[in-house]
Amino acid sequence: MKTLEKQQTETLIRFSPLQRMLHLVVMIGFTGLAITGFSLKFSAQWWAHGFAWLVGGAGHLAYLHRFFAMVTYACVVVHILWLFYFKLALKGSITGPQSIFPRVQDIKDMFQHMGYFFGRRGIPTFNRFTYWEKFDYLALFLGMNTMGLTGLFLWFPEFFSTLLPGYFINLAQVLHLYEAIIAVALKFVVHIVTTHLRPEVFPVEKTIFTGRTTREKMMHEHPGELENMEGMTWENE
Amino acid sequence: MVKLEDWLQKAKRLTLRALFCGLFVTALLNTQSPLAATAPSEEGGWFVNMGHFAASAHGTFSCEDCHGNMNQGKTMHPDSNAPTFLHADANRLYDYKRCKACHKPSYEQYLSGAHANALKKEQKEPSGKYDKLPENKKAPTCGSCHSAHYAKAHLSRVEMGRQTVSVCAACHPAQAATYLENYHGKAAVNLGDKNAAFCTDCHGAHRCVSLKDKEAALNACRRCHPEAKEGFAQVVIHPTTQDPSEMNNEKRSHVALIRVVTVLMAILAILIVGFFYGHSFVWILRELHERLRKHK
Repeated sequence: MKTLEKQQTETLIRFSPLQRMLHLVVMIGFTGLAITGFSLKFSAQWWAHGFAWLVGGAGHLAYLHRFFAMVTYACVVVHILWLFYFKLALKGSITGPQSIFPRVQDIKDMFQHMGYFFGRRGIPTFNRFTYWEKFDYLALFLGMNTMGLTGLFLWFPEFFSTLLPGYFINLAQVLHLYEAIIAVALKFVVHIVTTHLRPEVFPVEKTIFTGRTTREKMMHEHPGELENMEGMTWENE
Repeated sequence: MVKLEDWLQKAKRLTLRALFCGLFVTALLNTQSPLAATAPSEEGGWFVNMGHFAASAHGTFSCEDCHGNMNQGKTMHPDSNAPTFLHADANRLYDYKRCKACHKPSYEQYLSGAHANALKKEQKEPSGKYDKLPENKKAPTCGSCHSAHYAKAHLSRVEMGRQTVSVCAACHPAQAATYLENYHGKAAVNLGDKNAAFCTDCHGAHRCVSLKDKEAALNACRRCHPEAKEGFAQVVIHPTTQDPSEMNNEKRSHVALIRVVTVLMAILAILIVGFFYGHSFVWILRELHERLRKHK
């Protein structure tokens, strides 16, 4: 195999500076949203009082929540613009096997991977994005849009109650809350555990912050992507 | 109806807790609302704690300022040897017209409001029908909400508001609970935001109107939300089906819809989060297993 002949510790670049920066800003924005939002929702708790005291009251919590929402949504806008640029100017594929677009293969991968959990099958040959990474991304991407929409309902109830009956504000509140709970439970627990804390990668996975990874890690975690990278140059990937 | 409500409340609380088990220690979710600390408990009965009375807003008054000399006009001091002596309800016996002398606007607002209407209705009924009811089912007079002997003066808006909520909660527990679940209650009571609305900011301090009337409700909303149009008054602030006499079918259906969506979202949350928690957990077990085997 061609890949085996090369240096195992050679450094490879997996994420572009824009992708690293967006991840960092979304990470900060999302954490800010979670803290300010849950401090309002669980406002009877002592830690919520602590955060409210820290920023100077419920009004400031609400203000900061909207500020973080705008920062986070700005990332979605930049990302969508980048997708157009990637597709139209770089002629990249946003639905191919190396893209983050979900494919039937992901479902097969998931069952094979779960077979591996129970020692029945081997680890699937993952491409650039594994099925759980795709889920992480899509849940966040779709979630930010729906959270943004229900959030706007709660931000401008006077306006939206002229378009729709008033109880839609209540429904928006319910959806906003439960989606927030799902998002926080997935990002703060599942995402951190699967990317940083599981024994294979413990204690920390730095690739999304530095963009760098090694050939050895790539062979282990994303063999399909490595194969693809060896065949093409980074720009076309 | 009550049973279903309790069950829903319990199910909701359990769902939230279960989802948060992986996130926060349960202790983080175990503290009480600040309301619990504000409820005054000395009310009712015939005995007055003079120490606390002296520190109250009326503390500089003499007893006679409000109670007269007990023998003026038609009133007589009750017979202290009678077997029913001190068995009557002190709140019901006091003639609250006397409050009017100093609190005229409040007294007149009370007379034009829902509480005074309820009292009139109660007085029309044959005597005895309401006597056996617990205190929180009877129509309120001044003394039912205000403590003439102990209420303090110069409270801040938030302190006053928190007391208001706990006083209203004595007779309207479902309304108070839903208010505290609402953004207004969270900001005002829990986080002490003086810009947020307490009970009386919408329902009126002494008129205490139910706001069943759409126009009255919209006017209440517009005090803080000047842009509000007709549909805004349909936002459900108290999503409860308790106290059905105060509800119309429209609101009932909205509340039902909100509950259905809540239950569906909770199920969705449990399924998604449960799947990925299990997925991560088994995965970690597998990797630990492989590691330990390698070291053998």
